[in-house]
Amino acid sequence: MADPREVRLEDLPGPKSREELEDMKAPYEEYCRKIFDVGNEFIKPGALEGVRWMSCTMYIFTPHAVANLGELGAEIIKIEFPRVADPMRHTSPFNECYFYPLHDTRPHSGTGIGVLNANVNEYYISLDYHREEAKEPFYRLVKMSDGLTECYRPGTFDRWKQSYRYLQEINPRFIYVWGGGFGYGPKAFGGSYDILGQSHAGLASITGFHEDFGGHPVKHTNWCIDWYSGTQITVAILAALYWRRKTGLGTMIEFSQVQAATRCCGYTVPLYGRFGIVRQRWGNWDTQLCVHGIIICGKSDYPNEKNPQLRNEARYVMVSAFNDADFKELCDVIKRKDLYEKYKTHKERVKAEAQVEIYKVLEEWAADKSRSEVVRILTEAGILAMPVKNDKEVYESEHFRQRGTVRWIDDPMFGDMVVQSTYSTGLFSETPRRKFWDFRPVGADNVKIYHELLGYPISTIKEWYEKNII
Amino acid sequence: MAKEVKEIEIKSRADTLKPRPWPVTPPPSREEVAKVYAKRKAEEFGKWCEDNLWFQDSWSKPEALQGVRVLEVGLWRIGHKFAASLLAELGAEVIKVEPPEGDPMRQFTPFGREEYMLADKETGELCGLEFIHEMRNKYSITLNLDTPEGQKLYKGLAARADVIIEEYPPGYMDERGIGYRQLSKLNPRLVYCWIGILGQWGPEKDRVSKHGQWMLDPFAQAACSYIHNTGYPDDFLPRGSGGDPTRSGVWLCDYVAGEQAAVNILAALYYREEKSGRGQFIEVTGAEAMMDILDFDIAWYGFNESIKARTGSWDPNLNQYAWNPCKDGYMMIGGQTDRLWYRIGMCIERDLPQFGRLIHEDPFLKEVAARNALQALIKTYTLTAMWLRDTNRVEAEEKLLEYEIAAGPLLYIDEVCEFPHFVYRPWVYTIEDEHYGTLLYATPPDAFQMRTPARVKWLGRPLGKDNGEIYQKYFGIGPRMQEVLKEKGVI
Amino acid sequence: MCDIIWCKKCNTVNYLDPYCFWNWEGKIKCADCGEVYYIYMIQGHMYKGPEPRPGEEPDILPLYADKPLDGYVNILPGTEGKTRPYNCTPRHIYLGKADHRKFSIRNRPMRAWAPQPPSAGIAGSQGYYWDIKKLSPEVWEEYQEKIKRGEVKDW
Repeated sequence: MADPREVRLEDLPGPKSREELEDMKAPYEEYCRKIFDVGNEFIKPGALEGVRWMSCTMYIFTPHAVANLGELGAEIIKIEFPRVADPMRHTSPFNECYFYPLHDTRPHSGTGIGVLNANVNEYYISLDYHREEAKEPFYRLVKMSDGLTECYRPGTFDRWKQSYRYLQEINPRFIYVWGGGFGYGPKAFGGSYDILGQSHAGLASITGFHEDFGGHPVKHTNWCIDWYSGTQITVAILAALYWRRKTGLGTMIEFSQVQAATRCCGYTVPLYGRFGIVRQRWGNWDTQLCVHGIIICGKSDYPNEKNPQLRNEARYVMVSAFNDADFKELCDVIKRKDLYEKYKTHKERVKAEAQVEIYKVLEEWAADKSRSEVVRILTEAGILAMPVKNDKEVYESEHFRQRGTVRWIDDPMFGDMVVQSTYSTGLFSETPRRKFWDFRPVGADNVKIYHELLGYPISTIKEWYEKNII
Repeated sequence: MAKEVKEIEIKSRADTLKPRPWPVTPPPSREEVAKVYAKRKAEEFGKWCEDNLWFQDSWSKPEALQGVRVLEVGLWRIGHKFAASLLAELGAEVIKVEPPEGDPMRQFTPFGREEYMLADKETGELCGLEFIHEMRNKYSITLNLDTPEGQKLYKGLAARADVIIEEYPPGYMDERGIGYRQLSKLNPRLVYCWIGILGQWGPEKDRVSKHGQWMLDPFAQAACSYIHNTGYPDDFLPRGSGGDPTRSGVWLCDYVAGEQAAVNILAALYYREEKSGRGQFIEVTGAEAMMDILDFDIAWYGFNESIKARTGSWDPNLNQYAWNPCKDGYMMIGGQTDRLWYRIGMCIERDLPQFGRLIHEDPFLKEVAARNALQALIKTYTLTAMWLRDTNRVEAEEKLLEYEIAAGPLLYIDEVCEFPHFVYRPWVYTIEDEHYGTLLYATPPDAFQMRTPARVKWLGRPLGKDNGEIYQKYFGIGPRMQEVLKEKGVI
Repeated sequence: MCDIIWCKKCNTVNYLDPYCFWNWEGKIKCADCGEVYYIYMIQGHMYKGPEPRPGEEPDILPLYADKPLDGYVNILPGTEGKTRPYNCTPRHIYLGKADHRKFSIRNRPMRAWAPQPPSAGIAGSQGYYWDIKKLSPEVWEEYQEKIKRGEVKDW
């Protein structure tokens, strides 16, 4: 207990040292740069160091739930079936892009780029759960870990005596996550993928152009429901870890990714529930704000490039001027004051018919201009506009480079590689996420885990390997 | 909470448009579902799951984040709202701080239709559904951060908060002396998370327009190449009719940033409790959080200068993995590994022998990776659609599930809300709100847990409803003083 | 009929993708023999056709075709005069097979070719070091050349 008569520097308001004083005076942007200290992540600790997690996962959804932990500093052990491996290793756009082979026994089939970013910073072991010999090392790992994430059909791990029913007996602190499509209920055994989540849960029905405009529901380009749902599992895991500090008890989390897609549909569900209105697609415009949409310009920014994505597609601009003053400014710029007079209030211009008219006028105005001209004219007038960027432009963006969210690493297995993930999940002043390596060949850490961690003799490991147990 | 279903008598066409209470069709009973488990010899396990994870038991279990106090302060966007919702659903006490005129998102309603906003039963004040749906388990207070008294009160709240989730333009809070660098001096245990579109620093940081309008998603979608990579190729549909780069129907980057913010905040809290005793500063942006999950797209450019092109509803990385038009809509089918790929074929060729011949005979389609080539996609999906055009969604689903294929119809929201499995769990659920009546909402995906499930305790909140409680509880400011503050425009 | 056109003259199957052709009327040319067929499709069904219209000008070419009776010899998208170009691709070259690369776009070594020399230890285990000089000396040498020529960049 401090003496209340004593005046201590640290109790007084205001800066305590010259350095702190300078911090307090620095322009905000400089302060942010300094506190996040991009590029020096490795001198800081990881938030979850000391947590060990087992990843019995495949594809993207459940792996990503665990990779988030790995990026935050937890030690992750990824378990794959011997030889066969995570099927995601076979995915590659148009079959064109592969890294190092799955493992030495298949030197001709590389690991598809589809697996990138989903299992970072992990140790890779192989194990065939079907085999009787696999039980003991599996249970040993359970005893030494904080939790597990799996994605097999419901009941499969139970049949193999490694569901939470069994594991809570071995390790009461254990946090067990099942991630899949549906969970308990009539479609419990339905398999699931990201795209099923998109289509089955309403998200696709509101994405894309309306059929009256000739459009179809469109798939989000990435496996967004896999990734996005995986992160929500991580939220649940971290909350469970937080609660375990109080009680010492683990838990079981059952997570259905299809449901997560409905969760992000905003007003769609309550609108249906109250009024019976079924929300439809509205293309590149916004149902609740206008002007707030994407328009096509007449000319590409790179008419002479060979790559069709540059030559043909660099023509789209995101324009936003929904507030009255901004909309007035926009109408001034395109010399259509009459449009402003007609749609003076937001309530008027956000109506469907008004939107059709307004965006048509905007596209007519942009018909003889290139994308960058449109953005320049609007930005100079103080209106918000941005080109719809492609991968090259993102890669070349000075903004992302300075923030360290696009960077190169020298991966210990694969060599030179662009990193678009991990660092881009957020900047931290104390415990930044970081990427040690991306993925590793199947069973690359078999000796490290089975021998060094679990204490099996090398001869046993060799025997298991020959028998295809690992 | 399932209520008896009141049937509406249909006497005219207008009656058919009346919304019926959810669910129109009651879900199957537990006994019927037990038969499903039994078919796969998982009867005991299925029962165990239902006994331990049952949704309706959520409210009788403890909350994981009980005692964690969160301030949510932001406008216009969904990122901070979603982040705070995730924490609130897990038991954190979330106080949403709004300016006296309210978050502008309260006014959002599709196509400006006020008839689809909800009126507060007492005051008649309208509020949009987008806002209400994300206002989960949160208190609403008003506070004018532009006044010195308001800033002082805000500091008082911050001094006792564990977490602040802020979403204002870069430097806005700092200018007013209530940003991280000032508040962390008051409360070193504070975990402070800023959420935005592009960043609060850097050459292309978040901007506001000349007239002060904020940048909102889909700017983030445009900035990270998500939009460029989404949509149908103009080889399939003409530009202007769907053959264009396409935004997500929702503000997806906001949601993704919000959930990553929640992860980062919880990790920071864990670290604070376990190790450091200190909070920290976190920044999450929509564009970057989306880039994190944009598969491998940017890395692919670093590989051989590929710029991902859009491929409609066909995934260029897996086959089969797409939805295609069918007799009554669209049907999604997925199965990439040999085992699943041939099962899809076996299912389809029962009705369409030609499929079996042209697909299974083709030597080019025998290798799992080779099937991802563009020509393989064209061939596979053309023949699959030949089957689908004679098959409606329910039939297709039934037939494919027999072969244990991941398949499902593309559902519209009415169909989603009535899909038997979704009603059974349930994935949408009703809540009776004291201000807005019975609301249907999407339940938290983290709700199915043995010990500390997420849950929705209330939904929606009139502006400043909790001023009385919060100002009394945190500052001892009683009703008369609150009136004075209100008059001065502070709260 | 259906949304393939099986040309009986040359036994070629022309694939009509379900998005471009779901509702479509016009003439389409067989990718191999050039026979022109008239079709009228409604909701994916052939309402009329395909009926041969020899000598008439086609409106469109199929994207892809193959010949089941000849071991599935195929005609890829963008084969001049036979199939329609498919423009929405990630690069100007379409491969459809693995693009084996030894260097990234900034010319640093990258392990993306096959086959690779075996390098695993016991039970498939691998270290945390790509010993490029030992495993792929030719790539190492090429890399040294690139450094000399100043082709190795930071971005």
